[in-house]
Amino acid sequence: MDQPLRICHLYPDILNLYGDRGNVLCLKRRMEWRNMPVEVSKVGVGEPLKADDYDLFFVGGGQDFDQEVLLPDLFSGKDKELKAAIEDGKPVLAICGGYQMLGAYYKTWDGKQIDFIGALDFYTKGVKTRMIGNYVFTFDDRPGVNVIGFENHSGKTYLGAGVRPMGTVLKGYGNNGEDKTEGVRYKNVFGTYSHGCLLPKNPAVADALLSAALERKTGHGELSPLPDRFENRAHDEMEKRLLG
Amino acid sequence: MAKMTKSLIRMLGRGGTDFPGRVAMKLDHKVLAQCAKGVKCIVVTGTNGKTTSSRMIEQTLKDLGVSFFCNKSGANLITGITAEFISHSTLTGHCKCDYALIECDEAAFKEVSTMIDARAIVVTNIFRDQLDRYGEVTHTLNSIKIGISHSPKATLCLNADDSMVASIADDFKNKVVYFGVNVPIYKKRVQEVSDAPFCIKCKHEYVYDYVTYGHLGGYRCPNCGYHRPTPDVAVVKVLQSDASKSVVDLTVDGTPYRATINLPGGYNIYNACGTVAVGRALKLDMTAVIRSLSEFAPGFGRMEKLVIDGTPIRMILVKNPAGCNQVLNFVTNVSEPSVFVVCLNDRDADGTDISWIWDVDFEKIAEMGSQLKGLFLSGVRADEMALRFKYAGIPEEKMKVIKDYETLMKTCAAQKCPVYIMPTYTAMMDLRNKITKMYDVKNFWE
Repeated sequence: MDQPLRICHLYPDILNLYGDRGNVLCLKRRMEWRNMPVEVSKVGVGEPLKADDYDLFFVGGGQDFDQEVLLPDLFSGKDKELKAAIEDGKPVLAICGGYQMLGAYYKTWDGKQIDFIGALDFYTKGVKTRMIGNYVFTFDDRPGVNVIGFENHSGKTYLGAGVRPMGTVLKGYGNNGEDKTEGVRYKNVFGTYSHGCLLPKNPAVADALLSAALERKTGHGELSPLPDRFENRAHDEMEKRLLG
Repeated sequence: MAKMTKSLIRMLGRGGTDFPGRVAMKLDHKVLAQCAKGVKCIVVTGTNGKTTSSRMIEQTLKDLGVSFFCNKSGANLITGITAEFISHSTLTGHCKCDYALIECDEAAFKEVSTMIDARAIVVTNIFRDQLDRYGEVTHTLNSIKIGISHSPKATLCLNADDSMVASIADDFKNKVVYFGVNVPIYKKRVQEVSDAPFCIKCKHEYVYDYVTYGHLGGYRCPNCGYHRPTPDVAVVKVLQSDASKSVVDLTVDGTPYRATINLPGGYNIYNACGTVAVGRALKLDMTAVIRSLSEFAPGFGRMEKLVIDGTPIRMILVKNPAGCNQVLNFVTNVSEPSVFVVCLNDRDADGTDISWIWDVDFEKIAEMGSQLKGLFLSGVRADEMALRFKYAGIPEEKMKVIKDYETLMKTCAAQKCPVYIMPTYTAMMDLRNKITKMYDVKNFWE
């Protein structure tokens, strides 16, 4: 592989809630550890986004105050580029606020509707109580693998017919605390409430993203295995605590 | 009422910190208001630096002969504060001191403030901290504002370099004393995520003339003109800053002073400035205030030092990205090869969400090369910490997960080089207990 895998970290200054940047670090390192070229670019407010320039996108979560800064920028053209990339089958990992933004809208608990980019068939409704805590859900792309994370959201997300969940909640709330679904899958988009640092302790998800990106870019998505001793220990310790 | 207080005081004899307060509140929610009647209160709140600032202010009040008491053991919620008032009150519920120095949790402040007579309020800074508990930074800012709205008589001592804290002044008619640092502090700073990149007034991105650390520094908004106010208490020059202390030139209303701050690290320069600002708010003798700063010795978990079997060990509390990055600014600049320990718990008092460790520039520790002799990871989430360090670029063979505190302390004591332990709150408490049991260092944190 001669051309580097080009990763776009969208809104790194605004959507950077607790540890999100670690996900990008994880993708980068897992390429480097395999001696495969990789390149990370940050695209912030006021900077143009051209979907063709990238092979993989990451969007993190943000605080409400900061998200108000971002929406006008998102709708000044980045929304269309992102939608095109998604339809084109490029992998996207979106966390928490970034996840919600890919859907149709967010309706606040007092009825105000904030329209998002509508790239995927789902919507989010705000409630007054927050869904907080360590949680675990199945990763349907890799049967037998569970994802562990930390969720902290007051939005309840409901999936439409055009998408499927990332997995089933085994412990915790997930999308809405009602239907046991967690996250969203559509083409190569992965959306989830696992804020903070999802990928390092869930290397299967990291590799699923990298593999999809490489498959699309070069036609070869297979990845050599890595010695994930530290990764597995962090993962298994929490999985054991949550599932007993 | 008197009877009740009496039985409560008796309970206090057993030395609990916030248990008696909790009982008292069950009996009468207004017991704090009763005991606080006629007591002039100095409140210290904000994300980082509350304990150290409170201890520095305590030192000045003590040296200047002010009649006061304070909540010392870190019990900074309403229950702990209530307990402290009760133990300094007569049987009829009247306080024996003129002043109370209260370290107050930012979330508890809005309730505490309804029951006390605040005369000075220090807001140290606002950073992201335990999002699972405190919520977003603007939420913390609003809690503090509600607290201030109950305190019309208080002079506000505000950090001018924190755009969120400084903005508080605009909403109130209270007197304000701004404190700040006019110059950069560190030559080489850790990489940080800014917690407040956008203008609090108009949401445009700030321009910085200089940064001291985090989002603190000389900010201005090119769109609406909101900018750092000129501080009344200003550090104008950092003359010396090493592993034991800082020496600075500061001005108070333009009058120059030279101050020694007996703790290392740029964040302690801010804690000292806040202390001077309180002195100014209470119209204390400035020369005496600044003299007493140099008498100050640190409290537990804030750079406390002990020697076990000849090995010097320092314990420094870490609990959120901004605070932890400042600790790294200090510990990665040590001159001797050292061993580092991070002890990560995720109990309620630590914050159940530990993802903040990914926002800390631990890569700075990896850059130390051979200066880093070893790295031990402990606490409930030791494995996650080890993973973070693997990603920071620390070779796996340099790391060791030691979950058992007894083994950990024995291993530390055997190092024969400086050991820096960075624990989260509950890990610090557990470690202290363990050290006390294992070694003859009973009072090292006092």
